[in-house]
Amino acid sequence: MIDSPLWLAAEPALLPSRIQMAFTLAVHVLLVPLGVAFPALTLVMEGIGIFRNNPVALRIARRWSVVMAVQFAVGAVTGTILSFEFGILWPRMMGRYGAALGLGFAIEGIAFFLEAIFIGIYLYGWRRLAPRTHFLLGLVLPPAGVLGTFAVLSANAFMNTPGGVTVDAGQVVDVDAASVLFTRALGYEFWHFLIAVYMTAGFAVASVYAVAWLRGRRDDYVRLAFAVPFTIAAALTPIQLVVGDLSARALAGDQPQKFAAMEVTWTTRDHNPEVILGWLDGSGQVQLGLAVPSLNSWLVGYSPDTVIRGLTDFAEDARPNIVEANITHLAFDVMIGLGLAGAGLAAWYFWVLWRRRRLPDSTWFFRLASLAGAGCYLAVETGWITTEVGRQPWIVYDVMRVSDAVTEAPASFVWTMLATLVVVYSLIGYFFVRLLMQLGARWRDEDARAIEAPEEGAPYGPRPRRLGHGS
Amino acid sequence: MAPELIALVLLLGVAAYSIAGGVDFGAGIWDLLAGTSPRGREARALIDHAMAPVWEVNNVWLVLSIVVCWTAFPALFQATFLSLYPLFALALIGLILRGAFFAFRHVAEDAREHRLADLVFGISSVLTPFFFACALGAIASGRVGSGSAFEASFNPMSIAFGLVSVAATAFSGASFLAGDARRYGAPEMIDYFRRRILASGLVLIATGTVALAVIGLEAPSLFRSMVAGRGVVFALATMVLTPAVMLLAWRGMYRWFRVLTVGAVGSMVFAWGFAQSPYLLPGKLTIEQAIAPPATQTVLLIVTVALVVLVAPSLALLLYLDQKNTLESPEP
Repeated sequence: MIDSPLWLAAEPALLPSRIQMAFTLAVHVLLVPLGVAFPALTLVMEGIGIFRNNPVALRIARRWSVVMAVQFAVGAVTGTILSFEFGILWPRMMGRYGAALGLGFAIEGIAFFLEAIFIGIYLYGWRRLAPRTHFLLGLVLPPAGVLGTFAVLSANAFMNTPGGVTVDAGQVVDVDAASVLFTRALGYEFWHFLIAVYMTAGFAVASVYAVAWLRGRRDDYVRLAFAVPFTIAAALTPIQLVVGDLSARALAGDQPQKFAAMEVTWTTRDHNPEVILGWLDGSGQVQLGLAVPSLNSWLVGYSPDTVIRGLTDFAEDARPNIVEANITHLAFDVMIGLGLAGAGLAAWYFWVLWRRRRLPDSTWFFRLASLAGAGCYLAVETGWITTEVGRQPWIVYDVMRVSDAVTEAPASFVWTMLATLVVVYSLIGYFFVRLLMQLGARWRDEDARAIEAPEEGAPYGPRPRRLGHGS
Repeated sequence: MAPELIALVLLLGVAAYSIAGGVDFGAGIWDLLAGTSPRGREARALIDHAMAPVWEVNNVWLVLSIVVCWTAFPALFQATFLSLYPLFALALIGLILRGAFFAFRHVAEDAREHRLADLVFGISSVLTPFFFACALGAIASGRVGSGSAFEASFNPMSIAFGLVSVAATAFSGASFLAGDARRYGAPEMIDYFRRRILASGLVLIATGTVALAVIGLEAPSLFRSMVAGRGVVFALATMVLTPAVMLLAWRGMYRWFRVLTVGAVGSMVFAWGFAQSPYLLPGKLTIEQAIAPPATQTVLLIVTVALVVLVAPSLALLLYLDQKNTLESPEP
C-alpha cells in the first residue's frame, strides 16, 4: 500500500472518499437483488394463488410483499445517499460528465418513481382491492425494476467504456444520447447483472425455506415457497455462466488493464495460464495459486497462441496497482467459484426433478440450498468489486482519474461523514435484521395458530390504526 | 427556450419536494412536539397513519431534482457541491436517520426504545429541511464558489432560508394533517391541528418577513427582483395565500385550504427561483452558461414528458386510493 502513490495522492480526501463510496455502494448493492427481482417472484406466487385458487400461495405472496416493501424502503434510503455522494465526494466527475452520466440516472428516476408508487399500492391494497386488480397493478413493478437496472447499469457502463461525448477543454460540448446510453460494456454488464439479481433473489428467498425444511417443516407452504424461487434461480444459473464468460472475454478487449488484473497477468504473453487464487507480489511474481497452463489464452481466443496483455503493458499511473490487482483477482475467482458451485446445485436439483418428478429430499441438498442465498450475495459483491476495483485508477475509464474527480473537502470532513454513516448504517442493519426476525417469528406463530394477518404491525403495512377510533 | 424549460423543470422538482417533503417533515415536527399526553398520543397515531403509504414517494422528488441538476447543469452541480458539501452532508444524515427511525419506531420493543426512536425521528424532521433550505439560501446569497466552504454554507441568508423552511414545513404539515383528521372523522384532531396552523402560520409570516429583510441587506439585486421584478407575482401570492389559509382555518372552513397551502409554499420557492433567473448562481453562472449539450436537453425533456404521461396518472391513482381509504386495513 505504502509504495503506491495512488492510495494517498495529493488530494487528502481521496482515501476516505474511496472508502466511503465503497462502503455505501457495498451496502446498497446488497439491497438491489430483492428490490429489483422480489416483486416478480411475489407476483408469480400471487398468480399461482389467484389463477390456481391456491390460498397457501396467496398467503406466501402477501407475506413476501411485506419484506419486499421494507427492503425497498431501506434501498431507497441508501440509494438517495449514493446520489448525493456523487456531488459530495466526486463533484468534478459530475461537473465534467454529468451531462452524459445523468442520462441513465434520469431514466432511473422514472423507474424509481413507478416502483415507489406501485409498491405502496401493492402493499396497502391487499385488503380492499379486487384480487385481479391488485395483481394487475403489481405487474408494473417487474418492468420498472428492469428499467431501473438498465438505467443504472447504463451509467456504470459509461464509466467503464465511455463513448458518445465530445470533450473540449475539460467540458462536454456534445453528446450523442444513444451512444452514451448504449456503450460497449452495457451489453454484457446489463444481462450479467439482471440475471444475477434474479438468481440472488430466488436463491436468497428459497434459502429461508431450505432452513425451515432442515428444521423439520415439510408442509405445502414450505415446499411451495422453496420450489418457486429456487426453480427460477436454478434455471438462470447456466445462462449466467455463458453470459459471465462472454463478459470476461469482452473485457480482454474493452478494458485490458482490468482483465490483466483479474487474471494477475504481469507481462504480455501467449500461452497465458489461468491462475486460480494466489496473488502478485511486488516484483510481479504470482505467489501460491494454481496455474493451469495456457487455459486463459484458450478461454479468450480458443487457442493457446492467443496473446493476453499484461499489467506492465500499461503506464504505472494507468493501471491498477498491485494491491488493487490482487483484490480484483481474488474477488473475480471467488465469484467464478460461487457461480460454478451454484451451477452444480442447480444440476442436482433439475436431475432429481427430471428423474423422480419431485423435490430433492436429501439433507445435504437443503444444507447447500440454505447457503445458496448467502453465496449469491457474496457473488454479487465480488462481481461488483471486480468491476469497480479493476477499473482503478480511472473513475471514467481512460479519460478521468479518481484523484481528479475527488472533492476539495478536507479529509477530516470525509472521515467524519464516513464514521457517521457507518454508525447509522449499522443501526439500520440491526433494526432491519431484527424486524425480519420479528416478522418471521410472528408468521411462524400465526401458522401454528392459523391466523391470517401477515402485514399487521410491520412498519409499512397495514397502516397503523389510530388510537381511540377503533371499534 | 429549452434551457429555460429545463430550469423550470428543476425548479418544479425543488418546489414539489418542498411541498410533498415539507408536509412530511412538518408532520415529523408535530410528532416531536406532540408530547406524551393522551391528546398528543392520538395526534402521533394520526401522523403515523397519514404518512405511511406516501412518504417514500415524496422522497423521489429529491432524487429527481438532484439528477436533473447534475444532468442539465453540471457546472452548477459541481460548484454547489464543491462549496456547500457541509450542508448536504448534514441534510443527508438527517434524511437517513429520519427514514430509518420512522420505519423502526414501529418495531421498537419497549417504551424507552420507542421514545428514543420518536425523538430521533422528530429532531431529524427539523434538521433535514433546515439544512436543505440553507443550501438554497447559500446559492441565493451568491457565496457559492467564493470563500471557504464554511462561509459559503453558513451565513445570514442560508440561516434565514433554513428557518423559513422549518416554519413552512410545520405550516403545511399542520394543514394537511387537519385535512387527514377530517377525512378520518376525528373532530378533536381537526381542532388540534387547526390551532397549529394558526400558530405556525404566524411564525412563518414572522420568519418570512425577517428573511425578506435579510435578502434586502445581503442580496439587494435579488431583493429588487423579488419585490419589483420576475419574482413579484409569486412573492405576492405567498403573502396573500398564507394568511388566507390561516383565515380559513380560523373560521373552520376547510374548502380548498390544502390547495392554497400548496400554493403558498410553492409560490415561496418560485419567488426565489424566478427572482434569481436567469442566474443559477447569482452574478456568476446563468442558465445559458451552465446548460448541457442539446442531446442531453432533448433526453431530459423526453423524460419529463414520460414523467407526466406515466408517473402523473400513477401518482394520481396512489393519492386517489389513499384518499378513498382503499389503502387501509379494516378496523378490527
